[in-house]
Amino acid sequence: MAAPSEARDEIMGRVRAALARVPIGPALPWELGAEARSPAPPGPPLDLDGKIARFRAMLERAGGHLHFAGSPEETTNAVREIANAAGARRILHSEDHRVLLRAAALEGEFTWVPHDEERAELLTCELGLTAAQWGVAETGTIVLESAAEHHRLASLLPPVHIALLDAPGLLETLDELLAAVGSEDPDDMSRTITMITGPSRTADIELTLVVGVHGPRELHVILLRGAGNPLA
Amino acid sequence: MDVSLFVTCLVDQFWPEVGTAASLVLRRAGCIVHFDARQTCCGQPAFNAGYRDEARAVARALLEIYGTRSDPIVVPSGSCGAMLRHLPELFRDDPGAFPRARSIAKRTHELGAFLVRILGVEDLGASFAGRVAWHDSCHARRWLGIEEEPRRLIARVAGAELVELPDREACCGFGGTFAVKHPEISVAMLDAKLAGLRAAGVDAVAGSDVSCLMQIGGRLARERSPIRVLHLAELLAGDGAAAAPGGPR
Amino acid sequence: MTASGPPASFAARARAALGDDRLRQALGKATALFAARRRTALAEVPDWEELRQRAARIKREALNGLHHYLEQFAANAETAGAEIHWARDAAEACAIVSSIARRIGARHLVKAKSMTTEEIGLNAALERDGRLPVETDLGEWIIQLAGEPPSHIIVPAIHKSRADVAALFAAELGIPPTDDVAELTRAARVALRQRFAAAELGISGVNFAVAETGSILILENEGNARMATTLPRVHVAIVGIEKIVPRFEHLAVFLRLLPRSGTGQHLTTYQSILTGPSAIVGDEGPEELHIVLLDNGRTAMLASDETRPALACIRCGACLNACPVYREIGGHAYGSTYPGPIGAVITPLLAGLERGGDLAFASSLCGACREVCPVDIDLPGLLIELRSRVVEGRRRGELAGGRAAAFERRAIATWAWAMASPRRYRLLSRLARALPGPWRRGGRPGRLAARLIPALRAWGAARDLRPLAPRTFRDLWREDEG
Repeated sequence: MAAPSEARDEIMGRVRAALARVPIGPALPWELGAEARSPAPPGPPLDLDGKIARFRAMLERAGGHLHFAGSPEETTNAVREIANAAGARRILHSEDHRVLLRAAALEGEFTWVPHDEERAELLTCELGLTAAQWGVAETGTIVLESAAEHHRLASLLPPVHIALLDAPGLLETLDELLAAVGSEDPDDMSRTITMITGPSRTADIELTLVVGVHGPRELHVILLRGAGNPLA
Repeated sequence: MDVSLFVTCLVDQFWPEVGTAASLVLRRAGCIVHFDARQTCCGQPAFNAGYRDEARAVARALLEIYGTRSDPIVVPSGSCGAMLRHLPELFRDDPGAFPRARSIAKRTHELGAFLVRILGVEDLGASFAGRVAWHDSCHARRWLGIEEEPRRLIARVAGAELVELPDREACCGFGGTFAVKHPEISVAMLDAKLAGLRAAGVDAVAGSDVSCLMQIGGRLARERSPIRVLHLAELLAGDGAAAAPGGPR
Repeated sequence: MTASGPPASFAARARAALGDDRLRQALGKATALFAARRRTALAEVPDWEELRQRAARIKREALNGLHHYLEQFAANAETAGAEIHWARDAAEACAIVSSIARRIGARHLVKAKSMTTEEIGLNAALERDGRLPVETDLGEWIIQLAGEPPSHIIVPAIHKSRADVAALFAAELGIPPTDDVAELTRAARVALRQRFAAAELGISGVNFAVAETGSILILENEGNARMATTLPRVHVAIVGIEKIVPRFEHLAVFLRLLPRSGTGQHLTTYQSILTGPSAIVGDEGPEELHIVLLDNGRTAMLASDETRPALACIRCGACLNACPVYREIGGHAYGSTYPGPIGAVITPLLAGLERGGDLAFASSLCGACREVCPVDIDLPGLLIELRSRVVEGRRRGELAGGRAAAFERRAIATWAWAMASPRRYRLLSRLARALPGPWRRGGRPGRLAARLIPALRAWGAARDLRPLAPRTFRDLWREDEG
């Protein structure tokens, strides 16, 4: 707990004085209940196919690419293809076990740079490979949580980013996402939750769209659906 | 139906034809029109400029005239209509005046909205040969929610072809004292609006507020434009031979 | 609060902007584009109005309960390992950031786009300390190089052509001039990467701060905020106290409203939700997270029922894109960190009526801003409230008004005196018709009349006067009705 400060006391004092005459609301003064949650999207909840279709449409609208894999081999092949198409030789990767499996399987074909290498090394990588813990169909978003893997630099520094998303992790709405990643206990929450919707972009110069500014210019999501544990 | 006509100070002083046309149209629609000659102004110019006390002093006179009546108050102006709807807020700290202010607010209707929503009348037997652009005044559209009604009325004017302006919800730039406090901005906004108007190739522009029409008409007159400027009431009163924009009669 | 424009009056700056054709073209293009995209984006959300009302309710609850939520946020952020600082005003906030920079010996600082840091004049304060932070948002970096204030909340360098940018980059980076926008952007990426890598301190603002978890949320498209809050060892976030929302789940509502309202995107590229400094649990990212909670006039706004709703603003930029005044004059004319309709409201409230009061009159009260505001702030109503405070202030002698204001007060008083009585109204009506003048003739006012009556000159410069009708409606009615 920080030491009490004069500034804090003064500001809180002013806030309290400012609100002294505001009437307290009904029964639970500080609780907004169900009315404050977003209205449910129209129609019944989407099934997996419905979610995938929506996820694809929104991701592509934002300039990202969706790939499908139905087995571990297909996943590895997809990574290889995307990396070759991008001309990538050095791949910055997280320590998620599914990512490490690809690093092992493709060991000879690329140089694999772990996330805790020297900063200078990280900046030379042409591609970043991470998992994504969640997807959100409503917006075409992938979500990375720091409690699961170190993702911040691998998904940001290289110009191309591939994220492996397991189908069960694909949610329909932003509300479901926040329920999944949030917690009443701050210790339970990931320190960093990163939501990514497409590649980085700007239109600051004459409103001309340029894709790939500070973050990646290409985003690929490999979605795994199929029997068993295909991303394993 | 008995109605009280609140013509507004601008109509009384600068554009009385609108008042004449409005009472004609209301009669055609089956109303008995009452006009209390004691009326002056709703107080909006003072209110919008930040002079609340002065606005109250002026509006108080209306509480006397209309406060205890029960008939609808019909106003050929979106902005004055919105101001009358705002009277309870203006008099909220005056328990003596508040009930009358509220009564007035509840009974106030802009002319076009009154015809369509309350009387259910859309055809006034009017005619106008030509292309007419409709200017949505900001208060009519955003404060009173009036958008459909004038269009339905114009659709029934024989010979009139309604032309929708691009960017039709853009303000004409009048804004009360704003027009003379910041004349260059006011005219820049006006010219942006008129670019659309000129490109639309119309014979006339019509609106619900003479304040907007004086702003638009003033510029058109300065440019010697042949585009005529009409109030909705004049268009509905039927012979289409309305005053030339802005100039002397 | 720092005014970012030159010390002329609003009216003078507006006139200058109106004469700048290139600026007006750029503004027209930007505002029209964003407004059109917003409309398209809204059409996809069937319950937009309901969403908007929920957002307004959440903000109202947050503000009405700020004494509770602010403390809850501070406590939870501290539990997560962030250090909370409290700044009563701009100077105090700048001093806090300076002392952090000094303590860690930061020589290189990077900054993500933040209106709040501009409000407190942070760059200038740090520069005085010899530690100028580099802006990393492309548009903000461009204007930093040019030494100019932003002209639009979302696209701050919209007034600059690609040729302007090429010249700036050629001078700063030594690259050959090019008019390829992608190439210019790539050059910026390379140059700014070096700054990110070298920086010991990253500074950002925050879009929302969640009381329930002590988390801060930053939205962006470029990735520079992620860079600035990941690479440096220390992250300082400046948070206006009005940014608090009560619960984590409330973020979904604002994530649906903000990007669509501002640029028409269904979501910005990146959202970073940060709960405490990540390195202390072994993650990548900063070892220290400092959150500076800023008052700087917000508690005064909180104290009045009329002005409290203005604190609900989520800084989306929709009101700028909708405002017909802003569209013509751009951001610089407002001479304030915050331009457009919201700027016209909060500048006088944060900087005082003396410095910002004339902005309250920079509006035709058309209401387009209120229509697009995702949290339903009654901006026109607030402008009228501010106008009445200016009028009262002048009446009481607390605010200087000059001759024009005194003349206006007398004119309105006379007008009201006449209008309040039917008899006086009729008298004035007849008097006006008896006096020869442009009010009877119409057309263009003559030189003498224009000189004597400023309002006539102002109107008549570009518009003909409509003359008083020879007979009033009252006269006509009396004749007809007998």
